[in-house]
Amino acid sequence: MISIRHLKKQFGDLLAVDDLSLDVHEGEILGFLGPNGAGKTTTIRMLCGLLRPDDGKIYWKDDQQTPAIEVGFCPQENIFWPKLSCFEQLVFMAQINQLSKSDAEGRAHQLLEDLGLTEKADVLAEKLSGGMKRRLNIALALAHDPDILILDEPETGLDPQSRVLVRDLIRALAKTKTILLTTHNMDEAERLADRVAIIDHGRLLKLDTVENLRKSVGEGELLEIKAEALAKDDISGQQIKTALSGISQEITIINDTLQIRNIDVLSSLNEITRILDEHQLVGSEMHMRKSTLEDVFIHLTGRTLRE
Amino acid sequence: MIWPIFKKSMKEQIRNYWVLLLTVSLAPFFVFVYYLINEASQPVYDVMLLNMDDGIVREGQRVNLGDDMIQFMDSLILASPGIPIKTIVTEDETLGRKKLEQKKVDALLVLPADFSKLARTLAGPRPDLEISGDLSSIPYMISAIWLGEMLNEFMMESMGQEPLYTVRETALGRSGQMSEFDLWMPGMLILSIIMLMFSATIAIITEVDQQTILRLKLSKMRSWEFLTGVGGIQVLVGILSILLTLASAASLGFEMHGSYLLFFLIALLTSISMIAFSLVLAALTRSVTDVLIVGNFPLFLFMFFTGAAFPMRAKAWFYIDGYGISWQSLMSPTHAINALNKVSILNSGIGEILPELGSLIIITAIYFAIGVWAFQKRHL
Repeated sequence: MISIRHLKKQFGDLLAVDDLSLDVHEGEILGFLGPNGAGKTTTIRMLCGLLRPDDGKIYWKDDQQTPAIEVGFCPQENIFWPKLSCFEQLVFMAQINQLSKSDAEGRAHQLLEDLGLTEKADVLAEKLSGGMKRRLNIALALAHDPDILILDEPETGLDPQSRVLVRDLIRALAKTKTILLTTHNMDEAERLADRVAIIDHGRLLKLDTVENLRKSVGEGELLEIKAEALAKDDISGQQIKTALSGISQEITIINDTLQIRNIDVLSSLNEITRILDEHQLVGSEMHMRKSTLEDVFIHLTGRTLRE
Repeated sequence: MIWPIFKKSMKEQIRNYWVLLLTVSLAPFFVFVYYLINEASQPVYDVMLLNMDDGIVREGQRVNLGDDMIQFMDSLILASPGIPIKTIVTEDETLGRKKLEQKKVDALLVLPADFSKLARTLAGPRPDLEISGDLSSIPYMISAIWLGEMLNEFMMESMGQEPLYTVRETALGRSGQMSEFDLWMPGMLILSIIMLMFSATIAIITEVDQQTILRLKLSKMRSWEFLTGVGGIQVLVGILSILLTLASAASLGFEMHGSYLLFFLIALLTSISMIAFSLVLAALTRSVTDVLIVGNFPLFLFMFFTGAAFPMRAKAWFYIDGYGISWQSLMSPTHAINALNKVSILNSGIGEILPELGSLIIITAIYFAIGVWAFQKRHL
């Protein structure tokens, strides 16, 4: 549905998007995952036509370079008209996108209901709570019933209750729309996205389904051991890695945490404990879990999403 | 698509009532201020008369020309309300001079003891009259001029001589029937529209300030539709403002003369001009606070250098068909005030104000072109 080819955007010395190419399929939820400053927002702003790419092309349905379909954009910041009520601004937004008055009003009522804002229909937007403002921000992107919905960090600033509501809405919308969302929250990406594009420093590192991305860092389990001695360099990380190499080839040390991937934890646990004892490494915490997108990101970049 | 923008803009304008209040209240406020200034600037100057004339006996009858002159002055002042002089007669010279020093009177006229004697003879020495006062004060100067005029007239009449000349004043248009307050009103009415600059700029810059311009850019609405919708509301605000100013002036005795149709045409063109100028101001600012700070500079220029609140006429650089073009011509309210003055004072028709209307339209087009270009460059 959307083909991005060799997209490039530079701000001064900063290369925000660097030769980005990917396809967005019709009816899917594609997540853009990356840390702050990775180039996610710049990419979607170019998609929306708010920024002109320095190089590269964006092809929409039927290879058109301008979207002949309706695009809805929900920005990261809450952007609305504070002196208009929720209902008034949804109707206005729909009308300036060429919906008739009756269609616009019907759409506004529907969206208010879907986003749990019916009771606030006549309240001025400036008087809404933070979570409600966020929901209104999303509703405004949907006012004209677009075919493609672009959501920039949709869960930012949402309380847990609103987060569930918004996730349910995005899943429901995905039945009829193509959705592109950016996030630096791997949980959000894992729960919502059909496919995830991992982006860092403006470059696409990997694009695949969540399951395939997890598999790419090993199908087994992951054991995490926290030990202060690792952070203080009291014990050589390299020695530990070498000692554990018979159990797994995928061992990472990040700060005070030792990660051993792609193993059957239950059968390897005794051997791991013995080696750690030999090296006098005392762990304060030990976790066993499945690989996450964060692990994929660490695997690809050598650092966490928050770094 | 213009109607939804018009409706939205109207709701926002009403809900942002303080901006509306600022826009529509300044000109009526100035009307009251000018009324008070006008009332206070119609003073009466107090002149003390000290008659020391001994008089003469003529044909067995006592004659005192000093008394006759005082009577002549009083009757002249009574018959001519335009003479701003009030006479106070005293017989005590010390008291008279003391009051003059205390500024309780503006001038003191002393008629000498030989006034009747010397004034009656054409040959020989002339009577020596004394007018005392603070020569640096304007009230004294005005009093002295009027005293001189009245003395001359009295002397000519008492000598049985006809005046050497007569002066006839011909009023231009309706100027003879208009007070100074009436003459100020065209400027005040245009000032009420100049204030549109604030509400129109705020209506535009708010979209930048609260970032909603991003939603407008992503919609199917076109720039001209947005400007027409917002501008439509601002024209209504302008009409409300001018009507309030007119009502305030009427409540203080102002009567509108000339063609109402031309009056509204000038008001409409000036409103559009101010909306066009608002685009320039919006391009220079980023927030409502910026507008309220930066906007004071053009407001100051438009108020004091176009004739809206202060009479000023710059030397013309050149003339186009007799219409002078100066640096003031770069400010559209100048042309609007000129046109409105012609309509309301000289009862001019549309043919006589074409140069003003033409200049107003050209300057508006220039504002608009600069405003659109600069706004796009800065905010879009």
